[in-house]
Amino acid sequence: MTSDRAVWTDAVLAHGVGSRADLPVPVWLAITGGACAVIVSFAALGLLWPEPRLREDAGRPLPVAVQVAVDHPVTTWVLRAVVLVVTVVVVLVALAGPTLPEANLGVYGFYITFWVGLVPVSLLLGPVWRRVNPLRTLHALLARLTGPAPGADRLDRVGMWPAAVALLLYSWLELAYPGRSQPSTVGLFLVFYGVVQLAAGLWFGPGWFARGDGFEVYSTLLGRLAPIGRRTDGCLVLRNPLHGAEGTPPVPGLAAVVVVLVGGTAFDGVTRTQWWQDGPGRAGDSAGLFATLGLLDTVGLVAVLYVVATALSGRISGTTGGPARYAHSLIPIAAGYAVAHYFSLLLLDGQRTWRLASDPFQTGLDLFGTAGNLIDYTAVSPRLISLVQVGAIVLGHVLGVVLAHDRAVRVAAPRRALVAQYPLLLVMVAFTVGGLGLLLG
Amino acid sequence: MLRVVPVLALAAALAGLTACGSTAPGTGADDSASSAASSAAQSGTPEPTVGTEQATSAAPSAAPQTETGHVIAVAVTAGTVSGETGRVVVELGSEVRIEVTADTTDEVHVHGYDLTVDTVPGQPVTVEFTADIPGVFEVELHESELLLTRLQVQ
Repeated sequence: MTSDRAVWTDAVLAHGVGSRADLPVPVWLAITGGACAVIVSFAALGLLWPEPRLREDAGRPLPVAVQVAVDHPVTTWVLRAVVLVVTVVVVLVALAGPTLPEANLGVYGFYITFWVGLVPVSLLLGPVWRRVNPLRTLHALLARLTGPAPGADRLDRVGMWPAAVALLLYSWLELAYPGRSQPSTVGLFLVFYGVVQLAAGLWFGPGWFARGDGFEVYSTLLGRLAPIGRRTDGCLVLRNPLHGAEGTPPVPGLAAVVVVLVGGTAFDGVTRTQWWQDGPGRAGDSAGLFATLGLLDTVGLVAVLYVVATALSGRISGTTGGPARYAHSLIPIAAGYAVAHYFSLLLLDGQRTWRLASDPFQTGLDLFGTAGNLIDYTAVSPRLISLVQVGAIVLGHVLGVVLAHDRAVRVAAPRRALVAQYPLLLVMVAFTVGGLGLLLG
Repeated sequence: MLRVVPVLALAAALAGLTACGSTAPGTGADDSASSAASSAAQSGTPEPTVGTEQATSAAPSAAPQTETGHVIAVAVTAGTVSGETGRVVVELGSEVRIEVTADTTDEVHVHGYDLTVDTVPGQPVTVEFTADIPGVFEVELHESELLLTRLQVQ
């Protein structure tokens, strides 16, 4: 499909923006850390975990004072106001600020600090973006003028498919569109995204953002793995993250969302391999064709593997429920990929955001005293980066296997629960090997 | 106990598969990396065509590796990049010399190291530095947004 003549115009790193990418992971590390962990955990689960154990209503309540403070309307509105102002500044700087990507807060703030930073924040604190989403804030203001939403009763039918589309569009912008690092691209994308989302929100009602805003859905799904969660009765609790993931509602389109997340990050890995950079991604000039095809291929491959595995699993266990049934088990895998691929980007290139935030329009301002900060690209050693990468991928898959196992013993007849997981296990192992393999290139 | 047997059998079978799966690409990557590294190391041993630092700077179009340094040459003609346009592996701490011959006025930018040099149409310009930050870095032309090459420092 590709040849040495394959050419490609691009001036920025694969993940939207940034100056540095990670080194290939040493082979021994990937092998020692490797896919064996997934299989061993599956075998151990078969022996030691015969009954479903995960419950959405598990957890130890946080102190009342904390609950009251977190849930207080003042907290909500202060956070919302701050995030709305920051968002407006980021969009304005992207549209009207410095034209060099490295000098533009909008570019670094959006691609690195927001998109990548959303991962650790959500994994630690839960669905934070839902709480502060500036689209929800604007919607709340606009909805007073427009009145009741005409399409609210149709929201259940669209499921999470709109979020899958939104995330695929974002992945394409971030990984394939040649002009992705241009500040104007970022600014126009954010305006376009905001307008479309607000229009849909006014039509479908505020419930739309939990179904159609890719960024909120991403944060909410990752937040299912947070040690802090909300019990079914609304009480804030400390809990084993697996309990939260088990409670993910299996709405239509959930599987599509996680498949896009896993596939998109996997394609980011593909673009970092020597094969890609010497082949389709080598220097030259062309449109974003190869990257677009590569992204669609990778997402498509993940989708096919997952759908076939869940269909086989359903057939073996004699149950129905469609691809959404096991989709929650891909959440930790998506989280693991995101951490593996972007954690160094956040810690190293992410430093630039703070420098730019101090002087957003490059006018000599120094709001926070960080305008002169130098970017320290040696702040995290290559060895630590490798360890985190392999650890995140392996841990993500092990947690995925645990979640799938618990779901299988819950829904399938006891005698078939283990056999029903074999197709899924094969896919998990394939993803683990593939995910680690991409780090080796 | 009946349940245990198939689980363990499958686990064993998959463990075998996985080991093969992860070693195969791994060894390949390792080979290419180590061959690049070893060719760099070997360049310290006598080689007829490659000489000292002075010799390399006198021969701009070649892309040899000296004992401590690497020379990476790329050329840009009508928006098409030729030369070492893939990913070049260099050792951490080695001297790197990037030579760019472009047919337009532009600015070469080495990401991460944040080094720039203006191009002169038709004439080679160079950026020299010590590769002391590990990672993979892009080298691009700023104005035309053309990716020139990638530098892997390890």
